[in-house]
Amino acid sequence: MKAFLKPSLAILFTASVFMTSCSNDEDPVPTNEEELITTVKLAFKPQGGGTTVTATYQDLDGDGGQAPTVTGATLAANKTYDVTVQVLDESKNPAEDITEEVEEEGDEHQFFYVASNGLNLTVAYTDTDSNNRPIGIHTRITTAAASTGNLQVVLKHQPDLKSATSTINTGETDAEVTFPITIQ
Amino acid sequence: MKDVWRGILLFFHFFFLTELRKYISYFVLLLLCIGLASAGTMAQTGPVPPLQDAPSAEDCGITLSGTVTDHEDRSPLIGATVVLEGTQHTSITDANGHYHFHDLCPGTYRLVVSYIGYNPERLEKSVRAPEVINFRMHPDALQLHSVEVRVARQREEVTQATSQLKGQELRQTQGQSLAQSLERMTGLTSIQTGPSIAKPVIHGMHSNRVLVMNNGVRHEAQQWGSEHAPEIDPFVASELTVVKGAAGVRYGADAIGGVILVEPKPLRDSAGTSAELNLVGVSHNRQGVLSGMVESNPAGIPSLSWRLQGTLKKAGNSKTPDYYLANTGYQEQNFSAAAGWTREKLGVDAFFSRFDTKLGVFSASHVGNLTDIRNALQRERPEPEAAFTYDIGVPYQNVTHDLFRLHGFYRTGPASRLLFTYARQYNQREEYDAHGDSSRPGLRFEITTHSSEAVWEHPLIWNLKGSIGATYQYQFNRYEGRFFVPFYQMHTGGLFWIEHWEKGKWHVEAGLRYDYRYLQAKLYRKDTPERTGQSALDNELLTPTHRFQNLSGTLGAIYHFGPHLDLNLNASTAWRSPTTSELYSNGIHHGTGTYEYGNANLGVERAYNFMATLAYVQNKRLNGEISVYHNFIDNYIYQEPDTVPTLTIRGAFLTARQKQTNATFTGLDVSASYQLTDHLLFATKASLVRAYNRTADEYLIWIPTDRYENSLRYSVEQLGARGVFAQNFLQVSGLAVARQRHIPDNYLARDYAMPPAGYFLLNAEAGTTLHFGKQQIEVGLIGRNLLNTAYRDYLNRFRYYADEVGRSITLRVSIPLNF
Repeated sequence: MKAFLKPSLAILFTASVFMTSCSNDEDPVPTNEEELITTVKLAFKPQGGGTTVTATYQDLDGDGGQAPTVTGATLAANKTYDVTVQVLDESKNPAEDITEEVEEEGDEHQFFYVASNGLNLTVAYTDTDSNNRPIGIHTRITTAAASTGNLQVVLKHQPDLKSATSTINTGETDAEVTFPITIQ
Repeated sequence: MKDVWRGILLFFHFFFLTELRKYISYFVLLLLCIGLASAGTMAQTGPVPPLQDAPSAEDCGITLSGTVTDHEDRSPLIGATVVLEGTQHTSITDANGHYHFHDLCPGTYRLVVSYIGYNPERLEKSVRAPEVINFRMHPDALQLHSVEVRVARQREEVTQATSQLKGQELRQTQGQSLAQSLERMTGLTSIQTGPSIAKPVIHGMHSNRVLVMNNGVRHEAQQWGSEHAPEIDPFVASELTVVKGAAGVRYGADAIGGVILVEPKPLRDSAGTSAELNLVGVSHNRQGVLSGMVESNPAGIPSLSWRLQGTLKKAGNSKTPDYYLANTGYQEQNFSAAAGWTREKLGVDAFFSRFDTKLGVFSASHVGNLTDIRNALQRERPEPEAAFTYDIGVPYQNVTHDLFRLHGFYRTGPASRLLFTYARQYNQREEYDAHGDSSRPGLRFEITTHSSEAVWEHPLIWNLKGSIGATYQYQFNRYEGRFFVPFYQMHTGGLFWIEHWEKGKWHVEAGLRYDYRYLQAKLYRKDTPERTGQSALDNELLTPTHRFQNLSGTLGAIYHFGPHLDLNLNASTAWRSPTTSELYSNGIHHGTGTYEYGNANLGVERAYNFMATLAYVQNKRLNGEISVYHNFIDNYIYQEPDTVPTLTIRGAFLTARQKQTNATFTGLDVSASYQLTDHLLFATKASLVRAYNRTADEYLIWIPTDRYENSLRYSVEQLGARGVFAQNFLQVSGLAVARQRHIPDNYLARDYAMPPAGYFLLNAEAGTTLHFGKQQIEVGLIGRNLLNTAYRDYLNRFRYYADEVGRSITLRVSIPLNF
């Protein structure tokens, strides 16, 4: 057994046990996810005056966790609205307006609006990017006869993909929300 | 051609579908076939010719064979020379110490057996019929120093099925990743994430269930994810061995599926300096590889040996038959250094290696929600279109892995040693996202692992040879950026004892191991599913702890029917604790469009592995191996997609939760070769695996499909004037991979697309070694997917987005230099 206690080996063994038996007390640094979209807001401003109607989709704690809260909108029949969409990060204080970023990178972003079957409204783009393509931050929505349904708003990120042929199926989805709409 | 393949497929299915009972009958059938074949060769001897004293040079079909072992510890002597004095016949013993002479005529032969470090043995023997002669050699006391080197290299025979890749066959895989190289072995496939990331799969299991032992050290990195390939430079290895089956006793818990041993060449043991230069070019991604090695054993300091090695690799976008895959380039800069000091009684060596890679993540796989994936599935070609470039854009990964290893041994007797290993590994993975700040990674993992091991190999007692050991490991994981896997620290300790008993035709192996693991995670409540939305509560730091302990065991036997036929039987049990990612991951997995929830209540997973391998080896014409296995896994941890998608502001994501069930993995590996003529060899391989969820009574998803490979190899030892071209060969092979039909009902509730169609690939290889005086140059040419077939593989996580790589030609040159 004495052979085992040869100094060289003993040193090697002790050193390694010492090196191995360390432990670490570092704590993680709480980080906020970059570019977290918590809120999508639609503001419907009736042409010819009247009260602005807003619809909101809010998920303050991000993906998972608590369920999002959704507030729809009630619009008047046969009326035209100037609509502005706003994308916010309300998990930060003060809230960050991501719409500005989308506008700056307008040549690789586009909002798409899809009305469900039976919802009598049409959407027209009223803004353009540096390549003269629609962005969809500002739109005009025209309602027809009374009806109910859903309006889906999709923000697509289309780097090097946005073109005359790009569609709602092109690129990666940055936001995809659905608002219940009543036209009366 | 197609019909032939279909026929072969049907043939195998017929045997396989009828489950285990049929396996046994298949097994018996094969036994019979082998029996008949060997009976056939014996029948060829015909009537015994008249006895003559001097053996004639004619071919009379008599076989002389046997085993050469060490007299002291009965271990087989590998590479011993057996000569029939006065004839042209010479045989070198194989990995089991077997030698053999075929086609001898009756007569009296003088056998001379020699081996470095042993006294030569001589025997005169009159041979009239096939005969087995075994030799036990005595060590030569004067040459003990060289014996030392041999003992250090020898590996214990294991009773589980193993495969090995070395020499020219390993060099033919240069330029490929570790997982792709291993695909040459039966029972091995790889799970891929695009063309740049591949992980080995053994008998249908991968990631946390497969251990990689890099130079004797358990490789520790972010191995939980299927998109994290092992950070190992294959150029370091001179030998790749795979133990297929639960090998937990020797290598530690978690090795439920198997173990991959990456072994570098031992340091030089003779005075001198040598070097090697390897150059590889690959066509489908215009990859260039430069790898060099220099090693020395200075004549003035015979105890010292050292080696330096390095590899540079650069590849651009990969090309499928119809288009380039955007952002699939990668580059690698790896190096390693080793030095050793060896004396008669003790030795120490140190090894350091760095693996450093930057790899692009295929652009078309960067999708958002479920709708985006469905859109991608509808596309004929991936979006965006790409041209060839070496540039790597976002998203990409930067991965470095450092390994430092200190190893020592001390002889405690002529056949016993004390071995000691300490290793530190540092793995850093940076993931740069397609969005946000491109100057810093969206996520950075740093994982540090210290491990030490002490093993005592005891001397031979009552035919028992074995080892007792203790291991300890400490691991710390931290990250910066978005949450996916929490901070954690982990202590793991283990004790093991393995014994081998050998007598006559029997070799029995038994082992037992105990492991204990303490795991503490650190995470904020906001990163768990219990998030409240109120910042005061959400920013509370949680430190959940887990303790796991359990036993692993193995019992196996090898029965040598003769020098050519072995039966290996093994029953093992192994376990693994859930990983931190399985317990606590919480977030969206980009590229797979899945919201993954961990499950903090997961318990230990246990496997009971039964395996039988019948090997018919070292014969003149027919050689083969058949291996069947049945693996029961209780509390198998897997990801089960939820029927309710996770709704986020970016739309719906598939929800996947970690669950446990009882599963079985059953399979069959067959390989056989037949020497048609002196120059022409036909070889065939098949591997089949079925994985079943016993609790839900359905098949598991993402299991490798049936694979069949046939090849024809033409080889000529010498060609050209004075044999300028040596070891020449030309090989054509066909690989058929079936469509996965063993899937659960309602498949599309768990995956985005049905398993892709089966495919057939035509491959070819050629090689030669040029001799210019003393200088040699080895050249190899490999063609993969020669028919430029467009196909998708079930185990590629990016099969939703694009085809696999098309026709690819690899040229490699290997130049050994001696100074």
